[in-house]
Amino acid sequence: MSVRITGLSRRFNGQAALDDVSLEIARGEFTALLGPSGSGKTTLLRVLAGLDFPDAGLVEIDGRDVGQVPARERRVGVVFQHYALFRHMSVAENVAFGLRVRPRATRPAAAEIDRRVRELLELVQIPELAGRFPDQCSGGQRQRIALARALAIEPLLLLLDEPFAALDAVVRKDVRRWVRGLHDRLGITTILVTHDQEEALELADRVAVLDRGRLAQFAPPATLLEAPATAFVAGFLGEASCIPARLSGGRLESPLPGLAAPPAWPDGALRLFLRPHEVAVEAGPGPGLVRMVHPSLGAGTRVVLELEGHVLEGVVPPGLPVPERGGPCGLRALAATAFHEDGSRARLA
Amino acid sequence: MEFDIAYLLRYLPSLLRGLALTVQASGIAILLSILVGLVGACIRVARVPVLSQLIVAYVEFIRNTPLLVQLFFVFFGLPALGLTLSLFWSGVLSLTLWAGAFQVENVRGGLAAIAPGLKEAARALGLNQAQYLRLVGLPLAVRVGLPSMLNTCVSVIKNSAYLSAIGVQELTGVAFDRIASDFRAFEMLAVLLAGYLSVVLSLSAAVRLLEHRLQAPFRR
Repeated sequence: MSVRITGLSRRFNGQAALDDVSLEIARGEFTALLGPSGSGKTTLLRVLAGLDFPDAGLVEIDGRDVGQVPARERRVGVVFQHYALFRHMSVAENVAFGLRVRPRATRPAAAEIDRRVRELLELVQIPELAGRFPDQCSGGQRQRIALARALAIEPLLLLLDEPFAALDAVVRKDVRRWVRGLHDRLGITTILVTHDQEEALELADRVAVLDRGRLAQFAPPATLLEAPATAFVAGFLGEASCIPARLSGGRLESPLPGLAAPPAWPDGALRLFLRPHEVAVEAGPGPGLVRMVHPSLGAGTRVVLELEGHVLEGVVPPGLPVPERGGPCGLRALAATAFHEDGSRARLA
Repeated sequence: MEFDIAYLLRYLPSLLRGLALTVQASGIAILLSILVGLVGACIRVARVPVLSQLIVAYVEFIRNTPLLVQLFFVFFGLPALGLTLSLFWSGVLSLTLWAGAFQVENVRGGLAAIAPGLKEAARALGLNQAQYLRLVGLPLAVRVGLPSMLNTCVSVIKNSAYLSAIGVQELTGVAFDRIASDFRAFEMLAVLLAGYLSVVLSLSAAVRLLEHRLQAPFRR
């Protein structure tokens, strides 16, 4: 086990940023910490890096309790959101920095440091930038410099704090695939902090979803989408819309037709989560009010609509007429994930 | 009244000696005060117990009392405490203490302007506080604080004129002595202004060159 977190709590002025979080991450695994802002994901990253200290709980890296170990002795590489490069040093100096500042006894020889820096710059594919300064590099290049700098100390654990947030959309996709490829080659245990579900689901072997300081679910991406453990996870992932409903006398009372009541559930309030492809929209009279229409290739036309005050997204199957914006439309649920107020979950169809 | 060049030329050698002393006294005070500023700001930022509070008291004391009184205190007061310095070194010490307080604040401002993420990046890479300040904090802080540090240096040169009050024969001292004996104020005052202006302008030019070099990494 490479990283083990047990019962971790951290409060700021009485407010819990992390509340009894436990996770185990295998050596070499690529994990994402996913959650909205304020969910505690960055606090967790800072605690792992040794930049912040928990009020309770245990953090072990490679079997060693690092609770009292300061950041500089943890061998944790961090790529910060805004890269935090040293502007007064050249790219090569930035990358070499973590080695040069070591005490003499553990510091590699100058020639060895130079060799390592060249190697790392090759690895991140920017050898030609060695003599430049960070301000003279583009966003994507700075990100690679930050990565090379973090890798130079041969970290046991690599932490990436929203590393793609400052890149434009096209570069971002390229860079994140490249980062995943790099991880697969180097095999360093990596934790990515992000609020972007697409990023987390694409990159990570397993995703830890955080909800207001608590771990909501820690599972592979497919499991999160197919079997969300809580209503929060269901709502946060996969562009789901949420519609309230009721069970009374075994009958489902929902503004949305097409769903059968879950068998053997007690009466009470439900929340239905529907992904766009689970809501079929058709032109013509109906209870829906079309708010936006955005055409797409192949998969049908996406429609944002309003139903009894709730906003949801649906799809008009390919080939069928598309309703007009501002006009009415008919709709039907094909499937949904339901959460009962008692916490139990079921798939409805 | 006419501007008498011949009169001026007669006393030029002593005026130049005075100018040399002005440059010496302010030069030493500027260098020492920058040292005080760098060390003092680091102590404040690292929150070294006791020392940090002493720096705060020192800065407040200097900022809120007149330089002239500080100078008199060093020259006339310190001997009573058993520390007797020459005229020159009393002047240098006063200027250093005065400018040092301002440089502490200049450097501290520069350190405060550094993004907090940089310090965390340094910690994550294995630096301790002292290494961070020496290798990252101060190099960046000095770049940010350079204009205000230059201001303080310029003030040191101008304020070195106060040294004439305790009898140091720097530029102002020499000129005022001549005015007192010959009653020819116009030539001497003109020379004084020109003398200070030339020293300050040379310093500013030198600092601009330094700034240009220091800013090289930040130019695209």
